[in-house]
Amino acid sequence: MSGAQEAALAAQKQDIRSRWLLSAPALLIIFFAAVGPLLVMLLYSFMAKGDYGDVRFGEFSLEGWVSVFFQRDIFDDTLGLADAHLSIIWRSLQLSFFTTLLTLILGFPTAYFIATRPPHTREIWVFLVTIPFWTNLLIRTFAMQQVIRNEGLLNNALIWLGVIDSPLQIMYTDTANLLGMTYVYLPLMVLPLYASIEKLDFRLVEAGYDLYASRLQVLRRIVIPLVKPGIIAGSILVFIPSLGAYVIPRVLGGGKNMMLGNLIEMQFGSGRNWPLGAAMSITLMALVMVALIFYVRNASRGGSSHV
Amino acid sequence: MTETRTTAAHGGAIGMHGIKKWFGNFQAVDDVTLDIRSNEFFTLLGPSGCGKTTLLRMIAGFELPTEGQVLLDGVDISSLLPNQRPVNTVFQNYALFPHLTVAENIGFGLKMLGKPRSEIDSVVNDMLKLVHLEGRGGNPVTQLSGGQQQRVALARALAPRPKVLLLDEPLSALDLKLRKSMQMELKRLQTETGITFVFVTHDQEEALTMSDRIAVMSTGTVRQVGSPWDIYDRPAERFVADFIGETNFLEAEVVAVSGDRARVRLSSGAEIPATFPADVTPGGKVTVVIRPEHAQVGAPSPASVLRGIIREIVYLGTDTHFHIRLEDGTTFTVRQQNARSGSCGFSKDEAVGINLSDDVAQILRD
Repeated sequence: MSGAQEAALAAQKQDIRSRWLLSAPALLIIFFAAVGPLLVMLLYSFMAKGDYGDVRFGEFSLEGWVSVFFQRDIFDDTLGLADAHLSIIWRSLQLSFFTTLLTLILGFPTAYFIATRPPHTREIWVFLVTIPFWTNLLIRTFAMQQVIRNEGLLNNALIWLGVIDSPLQIMYTDTANLLGMTYVYLPLMVLPLYASIEKLDFRLVEAGYDLYASRLQVLRRIVIPLVKPGIIAGSILVFIPSLGAYVIPRVLGGGKNMMLGNLIEMQFGSGRNWPLGAAMSITLMALVMVALIFYVRNASRGGSSHV
Repeated sequence: MTETRTTAAHGGAIGMHGIKKWFGNFQAVDDVTLDIRSNEFFTLLGPSGCGKTTLLRMIAGFELPTEGQVLLDGVDISSLLPNQRPVNTVFQNYALFPHLTVAENIGFGLKMLGKPRSEIDSVVNDMLKLVHLEGRGGNPVTQLSGGQQQRVALARALAPRPKVLLLDEPLSALDLKLRKSMQMELKRLQTETGITFVFVTHDQEEALTMSDRIAVMSTGTVRQVGSPWDIYDRPAERFVADFIGETNFLEAEVVAVSGDRARVRLSSGAEIPATFPADVTPGGKVTVVIRPEHAQVGAPSPASVLRGIIREIVYLGTDTHFHIRLEDGTTFTVRQQNARSGSCGFSKDEAVGINLSDDVAQILRD
């Protein structure tokens, strides 16, 4: 090896070292702010629960993890599936899926509408979409309650129109959860969709019509494949917070229609079972991860050549 | 390739009658009436904003005329949607579908028409051959060069065998050399397929090279329709003469009119024959155009049609341009081919005479 090569190699090493050094502050922040708390949670999930909440340090236990999915029979101590937990997990997945679907169905035409306005009016529409973010989530949820409760706006309007005779029981049902989450998360779907529809080259739409495609065919064969990145981004942005929703099911769903977020909160509160709460939190993260991997793989299968 | 030639029986004829198009307060097209014949290579030529693209988009169906009718083979298609018209477009920036392969792009139209898989495949193969892209069918279009994308766009528009192919400045994004070869290619494709081509361009040379007929447009109106020869040698008005090539404008007076020729007297006193597009009467003041290459520089003599002083000599390799100030103060340009090597034999500020080839003067309308 020549001297010049050695020098180059040394310089490269030096370069790598200074790169690590320079990014150290960022790495430290990431470690303490993101990885650290997760590690604490992981640690807690493997410990025995304390009698008044908290955990008994140093006492290793799998009980937290076991009781995410199983419960002990109160008489013979045998393990059976934890129906309550599983049904809540299943409900959370279902509700999140339908919320994502509903926001997509409502958000796509909205985003398309905004993206096809003249440039200066587009900004106004985008601005209007973001207005709900100015208000606290809790207040928005209570507002939704005012709309869907038995003597609320919706029921009164339907009765006045003669569609129904007695008010629909929407509050404290899964429908209430679904409506609430769709309302709250809709902007998160509209904005990424708008961003990618706005970038869509509408000459391609014209080319589609020119080549004998109908409206529906243009939508299916040209528009949707090209705005797929926006659809995926929007779906992720809606699905993840839906899965961990806490305030909305608490206010609108009531005690009978809990979601994962509420169940976890319960373990740290009245349940006094921190290891279980920690294990459930990690389960929730795992579910999100699985969903993400599914989305990403789905995304890279088609349309990835178009960025 | 032979199938393509035989099955595309004949191109459609387009009729545009009294077309007007307003965009809000702006009138893009003002009362255009045009007849584009079957199987012809027809060019809409004009500067940007003259309404040529709007006219093309009205044939395609992307715009509806505010007034007037668009006919295809005599049938009114004004109210048909773009996907109902047997007309395809090659877009300015190709507008290829980036998420589809070359073959999928070319086959798109046929697929939308509900053709069976086997037919689509065979047409796509024919098209790939026609535009010299054999074996590239599986490539993503985003990996192709500009020239190749251009040819995919052509193949995609030709694949459904439209009656009329519309081309919206398709060569403007290509470099000069590629543009030249694509010009020949387009002309070949038009002859081979027998499809009527309607070509939009602002490039006069492109128009002259390829077209059977040209419509010169300006500010939403058609100024002149004719063969490249008509447009170049017999411009009907100042805009056309000025827009196409270089030209000399001379003031003249009509001396006599007989048949389709008039005699005009130039400011130098010389009388020359001139053709005219509209009625002229003896004694009338007119403007005459003479192309620079139709004049020759020589030693001044009483027989010279015009006399002047050379202000500038520009050597261009193949040609030499003489900018001559005439006795009446106007500037006259002569283009002479450099048939021999060496000096042109004239120098700046030299007094010269100008002679004209036979029958090269044209009187402008109005």
